[in-house]
Amino acid sequence: MSELLIEIKDLECNIDNQKILQGLNLKINKGEVHAIMGPNGSGKSTLSSVLAGNDNYEVTNGSINFLGEEISEMSPEERSWKGMFLAFQYPVEIPGVSNINFLRTALNERNKYFGIDSIPAKDFLKMVAEKSELVGLNNKLKNRSVNEGFSGGEKKRNEIFQMAMLDPKLSILDETDSGLDIDALKIVANGVNKLKSSENATVVITHYQRLLDYIVPDFVHVLHEGKIIKSGDKSLALELEKKGYDWLKNDENI
Amino acid sequence: MIIKDLNHNSLLKENSKLDLEALNLGSFPKRKEERWKYTPLRFLKKINFHNQFNFKIEHLNSLGIPKIEGLVIVLENGKFNSSLSNIIDLMDIELLFLNDGDIVNNSQEPSHKDYFTNLNFSFLTEKVVLKIKPNVNINEPINFVNIISDDNCISNTQFNIDIYENSKLHIRQYFLGSSNSKDGFINHRNQVSLKSQSSLTVDKFQDLNQNFNFCNEFIDQEQESKFIMNTFSASGIILRNDVFNNVNGKNCHSELNGVFAPIEKQHFDNHTTINHFVADCKSFENYKGVIKESGVGVFNGKVIVHQDAQKIEAFQKNNNILLDDESKIYSKPELEIYADDVRCSHGSTTGRFDEEALFYLRSRGISVKKSLELMTLGFINEVIEKSNDSAYKEFVLKRLLKD
Repeated sequence: MSELLIEIKDLECNIDNQKILQGLNLKINKGEVHAIMGPNGSGKSTLSSVLAGNDNYEVTNGSINFLGEEISEMSPEERSWKGMFLAFQYPVEIPGVSNINFLRTALNERNKYFGIDSIPAKDFLKMVAEKSELVGLNNKLKNRSVNEGFSGGEKKRNEIFQMAMLDPKLSILDETDSGLDIDALKIVANGVNKLKSSENATVVITHYQRLLDYIVPDFVHVLHEGKIIKSGDKSLALELEKKGYDWLKNDENI
Repeated sequence: MIIKDLNHNSLLKENSKLDLEALNLGSFPKRKEERWKYTPLRFLKKINFHNQFNFKIEHLNSLGIPKIEGLVIVLENGKFNSSLSNIIDLMDIELLFLNDGDIVNNSQEPSHKDYFTNLNFSFLTEKVVLKIKPNVNINEPINFVNIISDDNCISNTQFNIDIYENSKLHIRQYFLGSSNSKDGFINHRNQVSLKSQSSLTVDKFQDLNQNFNFCNEFIDQEQESKFIMNTFSASGIILRNDVFNNVNGKNCHSELNGVFAPIEKQHFDNHTTINHFVADCKSFENYKGVIKESGVGVFNGKVIVHQDAQKIEAFQKNNNILLDDESKIYSKPELEIYADDVRCSHGSTTGRFDEEALFYLRSRGISVKKSLELMTLGFINEVIEKSNDSAYKEFVLKRLLKD
């Protein structure tokens, strides 16, 4: 019996008084890969923002239970300390802050929360060397300002590099495939696969089936108008690729 | 105006009270004057100053500054404090104090007369003169520490730096207020003379706590000289820096940088004037303000390119971050150009930190406080990086971030 990692129940949320999620239910166990697909505007990115704790979104109903704890009122940093990670669709540029300093701060802030000593510089650098190799991140990028002047592909690799450094329990990849060429896609997917274990889980949010050739999901969910309207195994993604989303929308209407 | 016999200070008897406004030193600056529009001088007017010269500090490290090596000149409450100083005998350097008769004979009338200059000359408590002989390159920084540690004490000090032909020097200036003193006032004047092909870098650090510090800086540059001044303003009730950089010779480099970080109603004011009197020179200004918790910042920079000063390149910028709705910045970049073949620009920006960036950092497990600190660091790093000593940089950063 696999262990429950996160359970989302009847989740409803608003942004600027507009209802985006309208009763979403999802259960994810450790060791699983879930794909969430759906047409534009169905609420995919909202779901990832809400899970990461972006306070532009207001949870109006329902619950998010992460590792036995209700987190819908928890700050983004605390969620991160407990093992939540969001790979952003549009990673933010932070001028003047080096990638390395940023990550060292992130790790030390987490250590502080758990009452652990700061990571020694030597161990940290060793870890950086190991983890950056995983996604083939250019050495120069590590010392540059966070995401500043990075190409689209470099930004996405940097997200996975951060994921590797933070070693989260639940990783949400928000359209990580967008803006990637096929080689970069393979590298990024390869990195994600290597980080997979029986102790963590991955949620892949994507428009296209293509990424799922490389990160193979155990479950595929279709999100429409803020609800999961269909779940299945990886064959559902292939079916969607062939038929589009309309047949499901119609299906639901009947 | 009254220029006193500097050896006596007879105008001000010990224990007598000094009412700044009542002094016969020319008119006390008013808010309706453009240069004083933003500086709240009412705080200064309220205080009755004295100048009893007590030494209270036993060790420099009680002031929270890192260990300072090499030549260290310390003034405390307006007087040279020899026990805190480290006067090592450096060849090629001449060091004079007020009590040395030479200085008194050499004391010149100020070229720029305003109230605080007059106050400084009239009630001068200490003057240090540093002369560097020609063709000398002094690698280790020379340290000048000016401390106020006594409540209501007024300290009128001067530091003259003369660098002769083809010599090079680096100076670190610390203006400090001890954490348990309040309403003290350091009214300081730096006078710099750079002979041809000489070079001076000044790192100036202001950490006055509950005290005041005004600095008038006069820099005269001869041809092919280089002047860099980095001003880091960390704390004080009112800090005001008035820099007058006169570029009198061709092919000079002048650079004024600064970071000012007022909080809790502190008021930090940077006024600069760069006068390009001759052709073929470059000047750069880069001031960054980080203002929070009802802090107030002022940047008023003026570059004047005089007639016939062709081929001048002058760049001036001031960027500010306001961390909350209660904080204020008054920014006024000015250019006056009377020559026709120049490259000059000036600009000012004021904004807040990006909410998206804040969320991004927080989502990586960095607390709000630390995230703002990181973004602040990112914002001011460009200026901090001008200093090449990592221990000094770290210390300055810590104090600017109020860590």
